[in-house]
Amino acid sequence: MSLDQPLQSAEGLELGTTPEDAAGLGSGRRPSFIRQAVITQPQAIVGLAVLGFFVLVALVGPALLSQDPKTKVGPVFGHPSAEWPLGLDGGGANMIPLLIAGARVSLEVGFLAALVAMFIGGSVGLASGFFGGRIDTVLMRFTDYILVIPDIPLMVMAAALFGRSLRNIIIIIGIIYWTSTARLIRAQVLSVRERVYVKRSRSLGAGNNRLIFKHILPQVAPLLIANMVLMVALAIFAETFIAFLGLGDPSAISWGKLIENAFTDHAVLNDAWWAILWPGVCVTLVILACTMVGQSMEDALNPRLRVGHLSVNRFRVRVLPRKPPKP
Amino acid sequence: MSAVAQPILRVEDLHIWFDLAGGGELHAVQGVTFELKPGERMGLVGESGCGKTTTILGIMGLLPPSASIAGRIELEGEEILAKGEESIAPHRWNDIAMVFQGAMNAFNPVQRIGDQIAEPMELHGTATGKTAKAQVRELLELVGIAGSRADRYPHEFSGGMRQRAAIALALACQPKVLLADEPTTALDVMVQAQILELLLRLTRDLGLSLILVTHDLPVVAQLCDRAAVMYAGEIVEMGDTQTLYHDPRHPYTRMLFAATPDLLGDDDVLSIPGAPPRLDHEIVGCPFQPRCDSAFEPCPTVHPRRIELGAGREAMCHLNDPTATEAVS
Amino acid sequence: MIKRVLFALVTVWVAITLNFLLFRTLPGNAVSALYVEDLAHGNLGNSLTTEGPVWDEIKPALKNTLPMIMLGTGFSIIFGILAGVIASWRRGTWVDRGNMWVSLAFYSMPPQWLGLMLFFFVATAVGLPQSGLSSPDLGVLSEPSFAAYWSDRLQHMILPALTLGLVLYGDYTLIVRSAMLETLGEDYVLTARAKGLSNWSIVWKHGLRNALLPIVTLVALSLGFIIGGTFTIEYVFSYPGVGYETVQAIDRRDYPVLQGIFLLLTMSVILFNLIADLLYFKLDPRVTS
Repeated sequence: MSLDQPLQSAEGLELGTTPEDAAGLGSGRRPSFIRQAVITQPQAIVGLAVLGFFVLVALVGPALLSQDPKTKVGPVFGHPSAEWPLGLDGGGANMIPLLIAGARVSLEVGFLAALVAMFIGGSVGLASGFFGGRIDTVLMRFTDYILVIPDIPLMVMAAALFGRSLRNIIIIIGIIYWTSTARLIRAQVLSVRERVYVKRSRSLGAGNNRLIFKHILPQVAPLLIANMVLMVALAIFAETFIAFLGLGDPSAISWGKLIENAFTDHAVLNDAWWAILWPGVCVTLVILACTMVGQSMEDALNPRLRVGHLSVNRFRVRVLPRKPPKP
Repeated sequence: MSAVAQPILRVEDLHIWFDLAGGGELHAVQGVTFELKPGERMGLVGESGCGKTTTILGIMGLLPPSASIAGRIELEGEEILAKGEESIAPHRWNDIAMVFQGAMNAFNPVQRIGDQIAEPMELHGTATGKTAKAQVRELLELVGIAGSRADRYPHEFSGGMRQRAAIALALACQPKVLLADEPTTALDVMVQAQILELLLRLTRDLGLSLILVTHDLPVVAQLCDRAAVMYAGEIVEMGDTQTLYHDPRHPYTRMLFAATPDLLGDDDVLSIPGAPPRLDHEIVGCPFQPRCDSAFEPCPTVHPRRIELGAGREAMCHLNDPTATEAVS
Repeated sequence: MIKRVLFALVTVWVAITLNFLLFRTLPGNAVSALYVEDLAHGNLGNSLTTEGPVWDEIKPALKNTLPMIMLGTGFSIIFGILAGVIASWRRGTWVDRGNMWVSLAFYSMPPQWLGLMLFFFVATAVGLPQSGLSSPDLGVLSEPSFAAYWSDRLQHMILPALTLGLVLYGDYTLIVRSAMLETLGEDYVLTARAKGLSNWSIVWKHGLRNALLPIVTLVALSLGFIIGGTFTIEYVFSYPGVGYETVQAIDRRDYPVLQGIFLLLTMSVILFNLIADLLYFKLDPRVTS
């Protein structure tokens, strides 16, 4: 929505005087869906800021560490103090470097797993929506079967069997969570496929490759990105799960692993809440941020922001000054 | 019958604004003024987005919180707009009722039609329980639906029947004024004719006054005694339907009717080149001037006055203004 | 080992497929019925560790998990619906925004972490027991009374249930709010307002009643997956339910038990899918078959 667009859309549809029009909902155009998302929902800014912060920490942080974060620098479960503001873990290591190292691993797993899920889901959705017919039915049936399988138990068991390395965990998470992406992309592809310019292109003899890459993919890409951000949240969540059950990569430090370590080192008995609080806060913040950003992006792309007919407030009555009669 | 009847509804200098999301306002209705006599059927015509639906929503007090309204609305002489929702609410449905655009969705899909029609009766205390049920059946019969269908759900009704049911709903509390918003859009021609017949019959038998909002000129010609033509939030011409068709005084009216060559049940698309102006800033001069084929010297700079042409006719156009035409010649 | 794994997965797959077919085709498919019946009659195999039937391992765990889950989901559904409806009604106000933040926060928290935090900061203050099913010292002196026993059980159940409840609350509030907003934008809400209904009436009678359709579907579907979600919660609190049992079985590499649990979980998903369908059928008069 913005006032520098004509109130009449390209197809000649009027955009005049209804409340919906005033709210800025005309036929879909996306100047920049990120900008749109931010304008309509300012919490996306907060989300982006938080996310940006953690990404920065993940990228730059580990390089700034002078020693292995697991080095013992004080007593086991040392209390938070001026020297160690966030306390020490069950091995006497400083929480701060641990968290920084954890940032890299957690975000890496989250991002890559989301990438895998997006790739698989996107391909399935694209193929399903574009080719339709038998391919669509088969793929969707397959997706349905996968959906019925409880995600977490499957993930946990797969992790138990194959999980000991980060690479495998990434793949496992990706394989389990591609289904929602597939559905979303398929729906989008179906709607794009019916648009006039695609049909026109096809009738001019454009091959499938050209249609997909030049016409459909660009329309689908923003949704894919929005979905991927949400997927990152899910993936980090999943990794925390896996790590907590002791099924993660033993050599990698992720936030989930930090929580698990603290737990098995009997942080509970020692009342060492700081060993558990901070990694969890980090995970929560990142997931929160991703969810907010991803959700606002999706909302901006598919505005279902209808004008609600119910509100606490009422319309206002103005009293106009008596205007002089028109000349 | 007295020759000069007290108007049942009087709207004077009605303005409606909507707050825009980025700041600023949309001036959707700009100084609309008209009267409705008892038993009269008046059409409110214009392109989509000209403000006709907003006008009647304003009369009903059904505007969203982003709206502000100014002006006078008198119902049987009583001012009802002064306190906004507070002063309008008691009259809603009791005295003025509305048949919504797209009556297809005006019904709650999970509730039976009969219950939905009985709802306002019980709410406003006009009838309860068995009496309400009986009245619902009567109403349905009145609009041409078998009374036994009161126990059915909306999706079991056809489009035309749902429209009739919406009319029955509007009549539930025996209002004096009926506002119908595009009641025949999305219906096929046969059903359209039936609905129009129904409205005609109802206004005659029940003494209802009707405002019919539509962009469909043949409908107006068929049903309404008078019509007001709206453009960019203003009434640009008003008068009785026949004269409007045969002797339009505003170029927009003329072009509208000309775009409809066959008035007898012809489905058509209005096509006057260009687009209506944006209403988020003040318009200089006549709002129709950019698309007008008869624009002359004063039009781009001076907003036309409302000129009374006698016998309830008026037009807002410099061509009718003797001072303007004189100044030029 | 790999052979056993493959065998397990294939069996599960077959069971899934059969279950699926069973619910979709007419009853009377005798062959499938027999097979499934066989399966149901404890032909889940024998546990590797105890040498006894797998079902004997799973049953008590199930008996522990179910009440805990019911408590937690009951809490989350009730408060989720309340919060979601109010938030949608008062859209844009601080009530709405505050609730959104809170729900999103709970939704984003790893359940095990939330459980531990609750334990650290709430339980010790209030004096709730930290783990297990019931206090070990309860039955030492004399047979505990019914009330005492169940009160004790309840105390042990509260934290895991609360954790589950809070995490789900976040999810459900968002679902409810979203569904309500969609509904409140429908034309019939404007009609209701025109008819003179109070905001309160509209929200509950027209709004929620219609929003229930997507809400019930989504909630029922999520319930199917809940048992899986309680893994970490039970582990954290050493609550001997299905989740705890699963983790133990994984540690012990007790494949028949895992297979049995997995089958159980899958069936729970299918069951709740079915329930969701049935509920939708009851709630929406437009659906007739």
